[in-house]
Amino acid sequence: MLEIDGISKSYFRKKVLEDISFKANEGEILGLMGPNGAGKTTLIRIINQITSADKGYISFQGKLMKQDFLKEIGYLPEERGLYRSMTVEKQALFLAKLRGLNSSDAKTQINFWFDRFGIQDWRKKRIEELSKGMAQKIQFICTVLHDPTLLILDEPFSGFDPINIDLIRREIKRFKELGKTILLSTHNMQSVEEICDKAVLIHNGQKILEGNVLDLRNEHKESIYSISFHGNMIGFATALWAGYEIIDKVAHTDDFFTVYLKMRKENEINDLLNAVMPHVKITEVKEVLPSMENVFMQQINRGKVEINE
Amino acid sequence: MNKVWLIAKRELAERLRSRSFLGMIILGPLMILGLVYLFLSFDSNKKQTWNVLIMDKNELFEGKLMPNKDPNFNFHFINAFVDYPEFAHQEKFQKFDLTVWINEKVVSNKKVIISYRERPSEAIQRKLVYHVERRLEEIMVEEFTSLSVERFREIKQPLRFSLKDTYDPKNEKSLTASWVGFTFGAFIVVFILLFGMTILRSVSKEKSNRIVEVLLASVSPRQLLSGKIFGIGLSAILQVAVWSIIIAVGLYLLRISLFPDLLSPEMVANQLTGEIAEAQNWTSQSPFVELIYQKIQFSNMLVFFILFFLSGYLFYGAFFAMIGASMGSESDGQQFIIPITLLLFASLAAGYFVVLFPDSSISTWLGFIPFTSPVVMMVELSNGFDDGEAWRLYFSLFLLLGTAMLMLFLAGRIYKNGILQFGHRVRFGMLLKWIKK
Repeated sequence: MLEIDGISKSYFRKKVLEDISFKANEGEILGLMGPNGAGKTTLIRIINQITSADKGYISFQGKLMKQDFLKEIGYLPEERGLYRSMTVEKQALFLAKLRGLNSSDAKTQINFWFDRFGIQDWRKKRIEELSKGMAQKIQFICTVLHDPTLLILDEPFSGFDPINIDLIRREIKRFKELGKTILLSTHNMQSVEEICDKAVLIHNGQKILEGNVLDLRNEHKESIYSISFHGNMIGFATALWAGYEIIDKVAHTDDFFTVYLKMRKENEINDLLNAVMPHVKITEVKEVLPSMENVFMQQINRGKVEINE
Repeated sequence: MNKVWLIAKRELAERLRSRSFLGMIILGPLMILGLVYLFLSFDSNKKQTWNVLIMDKNELFEGKLMPNKDPNFNFHFINAFVDYPEFAHQEKFQKFDLTVWINEKVVSNKKVIISYRERPSEAIQRKLVYHVERRLEEIMVEEFTSLSVERFREIKQPLRFSLKDTYDPKNEKSLTASWVGFTFGAFIVVFILLFGMTILRSVSKEKSNRIVEVLLASVSPRQLLSGKIFGIGLSAILQVAVWSIIIAVGLYLLRISLFPDLLSPEMVANQLTGEIAEAQNWTSQSPFVELIYQKIQFSNMLVFFILFFLSGYLFYGAFFAMIGASMGSESDGQQFIIPITLLLFASLAAGYFVVLFPDSSISTWLGFIPFTSPVVMMVELSNGFDDGEAWRLYFSLFLLLGTAMLMLFLAGRIYKNGILQFGHRVRFGMLLKWIKK
């Protein structure tokens, strides 16, 4: 569906992107992650033909990306912008037509989305009369009005309250079910974990990580287990030996705890269980996968160390 | 093209919704008409008919003053002298506006006194003097000569001296005509400044409220800039058209309300044959009225006004677009507006120079420089071109349009590279880099 192949870009001799390549398939949500200034927005602008790449190619549905394909793309930039003095309806109509819809299709789509988001009453309101969150909703609608096959959403949840975050998240999932491709650039790692199938991490203009979200978390796991048990905490701790390190604990009641343990060296979970079972009554044992935030931090810090070395 | 048109339509709609545009489109020409009215009414008193009391004690005039009726005057004769306080305060004299005292020895002492309640305009004074003089002439011809009045007048014709420019014997390059051209040029400058600033504001507004990124994901920067300049240009043409219509209708209404004599068929006939004709010809029209209603070739001037305005708008508009696109913040580009504004004022100064020195070689060159040509060519056009010189007008227009296209091309580059740059300080070197990219 979308293929980024060896994209490089410099601004006044400063490399902003260096040989970035990845693919996003149909019906897939790809999380584009990276710290501020990593080059995500530049890459998104290159995909949208707003900026040209110095090197590399973008393919869309198997063909070299060109201006004509832009009507197949819905782009929600990080920096939101609407004409403040225009009414909601006129604004949506203008942007839909600009994306290639004719007047009657644009009106049908506007009706559909205004109904779906319950904002028919806002039609005649000017953008300057709306709250920031309301304007964000309009912007989201304007992004999807022309029923694009590729959605590029840059920080789509910023500025929304939890209810609307949930609304947008559900819409993104629905688009996925409809077979559309979604490129999601966000700092909200929880969202990446929850809705992204794949993730690409960019740092200092370079791709430092790419893969399936679950695979990435598995690859970065650090042999951490959570053990919940009834019994005495001191008894549990004394039963351990040097091969384990308690990194956190939660006391649910006086005799019910959850402990997070990190394995050292070649130790196995079975050895641990054998050691503690005579002292406490274990109710649950599970391996803890790192959050995407941890994966992100690990990679960034590793990058820093490599740079320092 | 469809997208360019969509953007242009949005720009036009935004202008049409803006109160300042609507205010300007109506109030602007009304203000101009107001000024014209002031000038005209300064020259022609509002009072249409003056009741004049001729105090002719010896009945020299025999109750006659002129063969035909002049619509400006109602003459009444009295064979007595009415003193000033009497005339000023007595009830029976209140209906009279002017008195003309023909003293008993007027034939020898040639003294006539006109007194007024409300000072008549220069034109009315001259007209009245003319009528009285003509009547006295008849009386004197009868008394002192054996000639007929017609014969006497034939002989009496004064010598008419006139000062003429060897190179312009028809006086086509009159100063008044030059000022007409200058006024048209000044309008071009005002419109360019007005709509150039509109381009700048529109570009910087889209940039600062970040919608430009959404738009650029649908259209190319060049399409966006073209649509914007086209749309604002349409609003400019609309404004010029509305101004022209309002001013034309206004001038016509002023003409029929202030100068009905210029239009009435009987007056036109009189002008051709009658006694009043001469009086009308040399007394009733002030130079300003003549300038407005007879000297300006509105159709010709308007066509080239629109052509030079549109070309100048594209030329200067490109600069305003460059500034708008390169601004790092809304206040940042203000410093670059000053040089452009100064250039526009310089074009006015160039126009002024050409009014004063139309034949200098500098004037010819100023007509070709795109920065000054819109104003200078309006001045030159109002003076008319000598045979074989009209090419200068077309060449100047061609040069202006050509450089406008070049500037728009460069503006497109700066727009493309600068429109998504924020928070920087505009430097000249940076603009050059953007142009090269």
